[in-house]
Amino acid sequence: MKKLLVGFLAVGSLVALAACGSGNDSSGDPAPGEKITLKFQSLAFQKTTVAASKKIVADWNAAHPDVQVEYVQGSWDSVHDQLVTQFQGSSAPDIIHDESADITGFANQGYLADLTPYLSQETKDAVPAGVWDTVKSGDGKIIAAPTLLQSYVVFGNSALLKQAGVSATGDSLTWDQLQADAKKLTTGGKFGLGWGLKSPTATVLNLGMNFDAAFFEGTGRDAKAKIGDAELEVPKRIHAMAYTDKSIDPTSLTQSGSDVLPGFFGGKYAMVVAGNYTAQQMVEQAPKGFQWEVLPPLKGTSEKQAANPQTLSVPAEGKHIKQSAEFIDFFMKAENLAAVGQGDWLIPTTQPARDAIQKATGGKNGWAQTLASGTEMTKAPFQSVENYPKWKDQIATPALQEFLANKTDLATLGQKLNDGWGQVNS
Amino acid sequence: MRTRPTTRVAQYVAVLAYLIFLGFPLVWLISASLKSPREFANLNPTFLPQSPTFSNFTDALEEQGLVRSMLNSLQISVATTVLVLIVSLPVAYGLARLRSRLRPITNGWILVSQVFPVILIVIPLFVILRQLHLTNTLPGVVIVYMVWSMPFALWMLQGYVAAVPRELEEAASVDGASRLRTIVSIVMPLLRPGLIATAMFTFISAWNEFFFALVLLQDPELKTLPLVLARFVGAEGQVQFGPLAAASVLATVPSLVFFAFLQRRLTSGLLSGAVKG
Repeated sequence: MKKLLVGFLAVGSLVALAACGSGNDSSGDPAPGEKITLKFQSLAFQKTTVAASKKIVADWNAAHPDVQVEYVQGSWDSVHDQLVTQFQGSSAPDIIHDESADITGFANQGYLADLTPYLSQETKDAVPAGVWDTVKSGDGKIIAAPTLLQSYVVFGNSALLKQAGVSATGDSLTWDQLQADAKKLTTGGKFGLGWGLKSPTATVLNLGMNFDAAFFEGTGRDAKAKIGDAELEVPKRIHAMAYTDKSIDPTSLTQSGSDVLPGFFGGKYAMVVAGNYTAQQMVEQAPKGFQWEVLPPLKGTSEKQAANPQTLSVPAEGKHIKQSAEFIDFFMKAENLAAVGQGDWLIPTTQPARDAIQKATGGKNGWAQTLASGTEMTKAPFQSVENYPKWKDQIATPALQEFLANKTDLATLGQKLNDGWGQVNS
Repeated sequence: MRTRPTTRVAQYVAVLAYLIFLGFPLVWLISASLKSPREFANLNPTFLPQSPTFSNFTDALEEQGLVRSMLNSLQISVATTVLVLIVSLPVAYGLARLRSRLRPITNGWILVSQVFPVILIVIPLFVILRQLHLTNTLPGVVIVYMVWSMPFALWMLQGYVAAVPRELEEAASVDGASRLRTIVSIVMPLLRPGLIATAMFTFISAWNEFFFALVLLQDPELKTLPLVLARFVGAEGQVQFGPLAAASVLATVPSLVFFAFLQRRLTSGLLSGAVKG
């Protein structure tokens, strides 16, 4: 028995030593004549975006025979857990595709390389400062390049809008105007607005930026909850439309964004609020002859929305950080970013890429308004708060669901959001 | 005792209802795989597709490496099943038949090993496999699946071995059969239903496993079926319902064939009357 125990300990120690003994050569440049291959794990989902991403890789490979990029198809499902393991095991892909909210934690733990010295000035200038803020570490280093953004937009049934005399012109749509239009469109058993708010927190916090809602003061674990009138403005307005005006179908508030689309196509709702990427489902799924449009961006005191861009980053332990960053810089070129943005129906982070989409689409299928809705996107305070995901899942989502189901009042909602932060951040 | 006609009818109705209950998800899946994107967004959805289309199957098959991934899953699942049975059977026999103080400890450990969350062990496992150059390889995944399935397989087989009366082995021994001969000629045939049930469990566990494959396999050529199916789900809850349903239908075919092949051999009652009660 004793021998057996000693044997187990010896084997265990050897394995542990072997595991600890790994090392990486992060020296960067390849030797002259050496050919290197970079792994690019892309999470592209739509067929068109996969094709666009592969074309970018092919174009790069044709122009860089010594630095080849291998396209590896990943999936949004469980990407976080996959990256956690790969970072721990020092085997993350050379180029990582993920969203900014997800990689912030990895950056804080030192897993991501500083891309500041490698990205071109052209790329740095093309992205607005507010979007760069979402991919910068506390000490100002760029830990990823932001590629695509999603915004919340209002989709309208053109026939019903016209019938009710509602015109959606102008640069923006104020919340008051939205409420008035929804009221006007609520008639004959049909609702002015359907809003899939099954998971309401992201929508409320992102659109809360319209009213300068902060929700948090400070950063990291030191952040304090800040729940005042501005923070409660969006839920208050939605609640009023659902239960006072009765211009929002309250049952839609319990559904997901795509669940409300059949009702929209069937004329049950004259308008829906959803992520701008829903435009693709409109194109694919709307009945023949159904006319829809994207209304101008929602405006409170501003048109601001929170930016949580998709990103491309490089592991700090990567063997070829410079070459990986150069590929990312290539990916960020206007025509490339425009191709993936158009494929995914998402807003490119750079102005030249937005201009390219505007030119290619002529602003049709809601592109003009969609692109306009991305102009004021910026980093929100909650994106710098470490325990935000915990607060979102355990506190904010159930509290907002209760409020939107008319089971609690606004004061109770505020209290829960505020006190709940103390619980999860203690 | 004769069964009354009314009772018999009630039995048939109950069986039919149960079959409908069990079969509904599969029928629904097949129906969904034949619907166009527009039908998915219909305010009044129909159970059967209004204008059936095979385009979802075309899309699903065009999706990068669906067939390749099915072959990978098949290789992994079959290898895992065979190896688990080969390793588990002697161990289960030993645990069921030998009287030792190690037995309760081993059984306790088998139970405890089932409660570890995957996420807890995946990082050390990944590091060890990487040192052994087994990450991003199908054998590496097979080893992990073996380790993952073995405790439950052992637990199952132990029960089946224990159900084989010792008297049969003693009788074989009295007739002059060696221990090995007894196991091969007497015990194994009687264990067949248990082996088949364990094989089914192991195969399905390996066929459906997602997380280990996600973490361990990076090469597109090595991706398993669940990883490819996950690609039909995008960010922000977007789902390509039609191609996903079509791919899922295709994914169930090997399992159904495997079950159809094995279930005919899943007979019980071999032991009835083997010894005096």
